[in-house]
Amino acid sequence: MQLFSSPIGKKLKIVDVTTDEKTKNRLQNIGVIVGGNITVLQSNFGDTIVRVRDCRVAMNKDVAKHVLVEVCNEEVTTDQAQ
Amino acid sequence: MKKSRQTKRSDIKVALVGNPNCGKTTLFNALTGATAHVGNWTGVTVEKLEGTYKDKKSDLTVDIVDLPGIYSLSPYSPEEVVSRDYILSQDADVILNIIDATNLQRNLYLTTQILEIGVPVVVALNMADCLRANGERIDVKALSQKLGVPVVAISALKQKGLKELMQAVKEQKGVKREAVSFVSSGILKESVDNVMLLLGDSDSKHKLFDSVKLVEGDILTLDKYTSLASQITEIKARNQEVKNRYKGNFETCVADQRYQYINDNFSDVITVDKEKPAISKSDKADKVLTHKFWGIPIFLLIIFAIFHLTFSENLFYLSAVIPDGAFKDAGLVASLFVDTEYDEEEQSGANSIKSPGVFLQGLVEELAGLVNGERVVEDGFDENGDAIQVVEEEGGWIPQLLKNAPDWAYGVICDGVLAGVFGVLSFIPQIMLLFLFLTILEDTGYMARVAFIMDRAFRRIGLSGKSFMPLLMCFGCAVPGIMATRTIENAKERRATILLAPFFSCGAKSPIWYAFAGVLATTVGWNSELTVFGMYIIGIVVAMIASLILKKISGQKGVTPFIMELPTYHTPQFKSVTIHIWQKLKHFVFRAGTVIAASTIIIWYLLNFNFKFQMVGEEECILKVVGSWLEWLFKPLGFGNWKYIVATVTGLVAKEEVVSSIEVLAGSVEAFVSESGVTTAGIVAFMAFNLLTVPCMAAVGAASGELGSAKRTALAILFWILTSYIVSMMIYLVGTYWWTVFIFAVVIALIIVSAHFINKKRIGKKEKENA
Repeated sequence: MQLFSSPIGKKLKIVDVTTDEKTKNRLQNIGVIVGGNITVLQSNFGDTIVRVRDCRVAMNKDVAKHVLVEVCNEEVTTDQAQ
Repeated sequence: MKKSRQTKRSDIKVALVGNPNCGKTTLFNALTGATAHVGNWTGVTVEKLEGTYKDKKSDLTVDIVDLPGIYSLSPYSPEEVVSRDYILSQDADVILNIIDATNLQRNLYLTTQILEIGVPVVVALNMADCLRANGERIDVKALSQKLGVPVVAISALKQKGLKELMQAVKEQKGVKREAVSFVSSGILKESVDNVMLLLGDSDSKHKLFDSVKLVEGDILTLDKYTSLASQITEIKARNQEVKNRYKGNFETCVADQRYQYINDNFSDVITVDKEKPAISKSDKADKVLTHKFWGIPIFLLIIFAIFHLTFSENLFYLSAVIPDGAFKDAGLVASLFVDTEYDEEEQSGANSIKSPGVFLQGLVEELAGLVNGERVVEDGFDENGDAIQVVEEEGGWIPQLLKNAPDWAYGVICDGVLAGVFGVLSFIPQIMLLFLFLTILEDTGYMARVAFIMDRAFRRIGLSGKSFMPLLMCFGCAVPGIMATRTIENAKERRATILLAPFFSCGAKSPIWYAFAGVLATTVGWNSELTVFGMYIIGIVVAMIASLILKKISGQKGVTPFIMELPTYHTPQFKSVTIHIWQKLKHFVFRAGTVIAASTIIIWYLLNFNFKFQMVGEEECILKVVGSWLEWLFKPLGFGNWKYIVATVTGLVAKEEVVSSIEVLAGSVEAFVSESGVTTAGIVAFMAFNLLTVPCMAAVGAASGELGSAKRTALAILFWILTSYIVSMMIYLVGTYWWTVFIFAVVIALIIVSAHFINKKRIGKKEKENA
């Protein structure tokens, strides 16, 4: 599932990041990392605001469609990312 | 100049390193106060801030270098490279790493990378008090123990813990610290150890850091050790676990393992006393401010308010409720605040209140009048009783002083330098006010949201949302607009934005539109409001097309992806806002005193002297002669007339000069147009030329500062001249011979298509080289 079309407010797990290396590196540095958790806060026509490791990150659709996620089964209790 | 000012050599040199939005700038300002000065790192346009901390009691002086805000020491952005090279160079005695306590994990990602370099490090734990308010606590002692470096809890905002921090820094000077890394256990250990053995004989000063980076596949480090490349590849190939778990991608592996390590080791330094709500106040604000549909209207409203407060002559449209003529008898002091001009015939006016921006501008003009006198152009009669315009001079300290001085001295000081410098200074209040609002928006964290909501629209013309705000400022004044391009990280995009800046018609250009729109209304009956509006539209359309062409020429493959952290909203800090404004003001006044003063003297000279160094009137001056030579050049534009050329050249000092020199040359704009015999198409071409050509000296100065090199500035000037020339020619020719529109349509299409293909070819070539 692509990040921008994911349910809002649900705790998601990042499965894969398929951007080019440079963008991938930027995402990693800011905390978007395969295996980590992420929550979509808002999606405006594909441009997405997410919460990852306690901070908010905005990305445009071109980036958000390359972040593949799946819904975590556990309930969202804290913002603590694993 | 800056070095010699210091009386005592400082004891310690410290470099501030930290994530963007971690309070680094606030801490820097708190420590250095007004001693800070801005520069650039050599070779790159990354801002370099330096300042000095002084503690009188303990007689401690610390030089502080503020490194750019970064998330990592990877080799991808110029900011990261600058910071990394600086730390590795060991120029600083101590590295001061600032950590945002409310976002510990992400901040430690950078810290663990810094610790891999064996230099003295002190960690400043900022905003620990905010964390407590959230119901969480950080065990500072445990954190310090785990990191192996001193940790000091501070509040940069409330200026708490700064003394203790500087004391800790002092104690760390000269301390030998072993480099440590998370790879000391885990799946990467063997690979890193083996690479370190390889580096055994090399002259590497930071073996651990280099080894981790080599395993990671860092391009810059690999370039240093090309001879070891094959051995390193071999070592990495042996690592089966990375192959299995990360598909052999070492970069992802290192990042993931680093976060894993932070999570495993540092989760327990935070104690959660009470659960915090899943949605914070900031998130709630974002639900409205970045809303799909409401986001943009709310933003436009805010911008309208800012422009209204800065430029409006009629604050809050109060004239609707204040009776006409209410202020017509107001005194001098009151007239600074209100409009006193009363139209006796229509019995209207004198009932509006000035906005703060207009009030401040009036104040500076009043001051200019006191110092340099005022020249009032009034209708009068000559000896034969014919109506002429009389220039009356009123007062002024300097003109009084120079009453008996020779003509040229009077002219160069009063008409040249003072008039020019005050002309530029009179913009300062409005520029600074605009910049104040901008800084406040930036400081609250709202600007990051603006970039986000505008990104989609801007992407279509080859820019990102980060260019939006600077370009919008240009409608007020290009100087703060160009200065604001600093927030754009991508260098190519930043340069493109600066090039487009003058196309957004600034406040000083509007007198030209109003003056000529008035003339066109009487000669060809055009609606003057629409004419003025049309000029703004021409500017925007040209900017859009130019942006597309620039994007193709610069060989950029798509726009850089938009990834931006949105900082938590907070109230703006008085101190950081004032320091920011003060730095800009200093910079601007300095320019007004040097570059602008010099250029006004030159133009004044050209307007008043002939080639034999004799002082003559405007009819025989150098500018007229040169302007006449250049007439052929402007024939295709429809205004091959020296007066038009001179007016345009004087616009380089300040765009208001265009109208004022027209008045000097021809008496009035109507006379100027009718005497010259320039057609309507030529007039519009002239207006477009002034809109698009090289902006005023102040803006060129700002652009040269941001572009960072004389070559780029020269290219920018060439770009503006070419654009204005081509567009004006098109307007004139299409206006005169309508069928030429087809020729131009074909030419533009050809340019875009060929640029597209050249670009494609170039990218293809690059990809081949990379492969």
